[in-house]
Amino acid sequence: MAEIENRGRLRLLVTTGAEDLLHGLQRYDLWSRIGFMEIKRRYRRTLIGPFWSTISLAVFITIMSTVGVGLWKQSVREYMPFLASGMMVWLLISIMISESCTLFINSQHLFSRMRIDYSILAFALVWRNLVGFLHNLAAYLLVAILALPGLVNFSLLWMIPGLFLIAANAVWVALLLGMACVRFRDVQQLVVSLLQISMFVTPVFWPPHLLTGTTRLIFVQLNPLYSFIEIVRAPLLGHAPTLSSYIMVAAVTLIGWLVTFNAFSTFRKRIAFWV
Amino acid sequence: MAKILVENVDLDFPIYGMQRSLRRALFQNAAGGFINKKDLQHRRVTVTALTRLSLQLNDGDRLGLVGHNGAGKSSLLKVLAGIYHPTRGKVWVDGKISSLFELALNIDIDDTGYETIVTAGMMHGLTQSEMEGKIPEIERFSELGDYLSLPVRTYSMGMTTRLGFSLATVLDPEILLLDEGIGAGDARFTERASRRLQELAVQSAILVLASHTDDLIRAICNKAALMNSGRIVKIGPVEEILLEYHDEKARLEPQPAAG
Repeated sequence: MAEIENRGRLRLLVTTGAEDLLHGLQRYDLWSRIGFMEIKRRYRRTLIGPFWSTISLAVFITIMSTVGVGLWKQSVREYMPFLASGMMVWLLISIMISESCTLFINSQHLFSRMRIDYSILAFALVWRNLVGFLHNLAAYLLVAILALPGLVNFSLLWMIPGLFLIAANAVWVALLLGMACVRFRDVQQLVVSLLQISMFVTPVFWPPHLLTGTTRLIFVQLNPLYSFIEIVRAPLLGHAPTLSSYIMVAAVTLIGWLVTFNAFSTFRKRIAFWV
Repeated sequence: MAKILVENVDLDFPIYGMQRSLRRALFQNAAGGFINKKDLQHRRVTVTALTRLSLQLNDGDRLGLVGHNGAGKSSLLKVLAGIYHPTRGKVWVDGKISSLFELALNIDIDDTGYETIVTAGMMHGLTQSEMEGKIPEIERFSELGDYLSLPVRTYSMGMTTRLGFSLATVLDPEILLLDEGIGAGDARFTERASRRLQELAVQSAILVLASHTDDLIRAICNKAALMNSGRIVKIGPVEEILLEYHDEKARLEPQPAAG
């Protein structure tokens, strides 16, 4: 007791995982700036900046649509918006996952010289990618309103909780993969190859209803990536996401945060030694 | 009131090589049944940076850390800054801590001087508007003029230092931690920098500075600690410790003329 009283106003120089997350979240001015500066750097000295990714996506969708329409006997009016919206969400998710692998490896020059709440880096990553998504979204909505006005209705509002859920999950993914990859350098390679495979086995290019039976159960219903895509893609196609998608997303959110919070609380103090 | 209390701190750096890749760790887990934990711990390669280090600093203490390369000066500073968590032991503090290690603010070489300094200040806990309010002061102190609008990539070494150091002029910490490297920059700037450091030292309640420059320590510190292999060998008045340090140096590298 006496010992504690003697310490007076002294505090232990330790940051817990919870403190890191909370203080990190509060520094929205800093993480939005870090995210914004990264976008700025990437497109510095380019003419159209972030719209480059939008244009390359548009070209991809136009060409891929002609293949997809022939392959899966779809109508262009149905297939093209499906592919465009799905690819937008897939890109958002997959880029965030692959960038998570280098979250700590790439910013060691920052936290090796000052104390920083690591979660700030994760928030910056998510914020930056959401901004990129909004560029694509603007282009998508513009084309949809001009070409297929029936596609855009009030169901679009479901996109807001959808994006929020994706962002909330991206934060834990960034922290967890960031830690795993900085400690075990093999993980990054593993993630890259898994992402490549996921792109083809998740219904991004092909309509999910074409699959039946067990394969449908595995690659559509039990595939969390499908649910994550669906909660944003469905509103973009003019209908509300299914309840089962939300249940899957909620389960992943809960488990992911539970695991990450524990891992982050335990290993946060070691990150500086791992880089 | 500011205070730092370091109690029996050990700092070990784990060294990770190929032997601890995922494959190995998985294998170790699988083999966990017959390799006991103690053996595993012995196998891990660590480098000891600090050993049972204790230290107390109170209001008004301006401590200079001296010692050879690898004595543990930077490690101690990084523990005090909260960058490295001690392997064993505890660090208690009272007061807002700011650390300035490596004056090159390598946030990104393509960012302009203005962008860099604002981001750096925000990383040190200031808000964007606070930092923007301090820009005139930064312009005055760094004397970089129009260069502040150019990418840091175009800066000379000295200019980078000036930019980095100007951050020190706008932070308002109770505990200030500084690492060596302040010597860079031209002679005139070095003089201004050390004058500015003296002012800062007076403003902040506690200052810890690691340096190989005796004059800087004489000018700024009122206390010094000699470090050797991760321990504080001796702590006391500046002159006494500097003398001890140079004696130690002479012992380690005997001068040919001294025979």
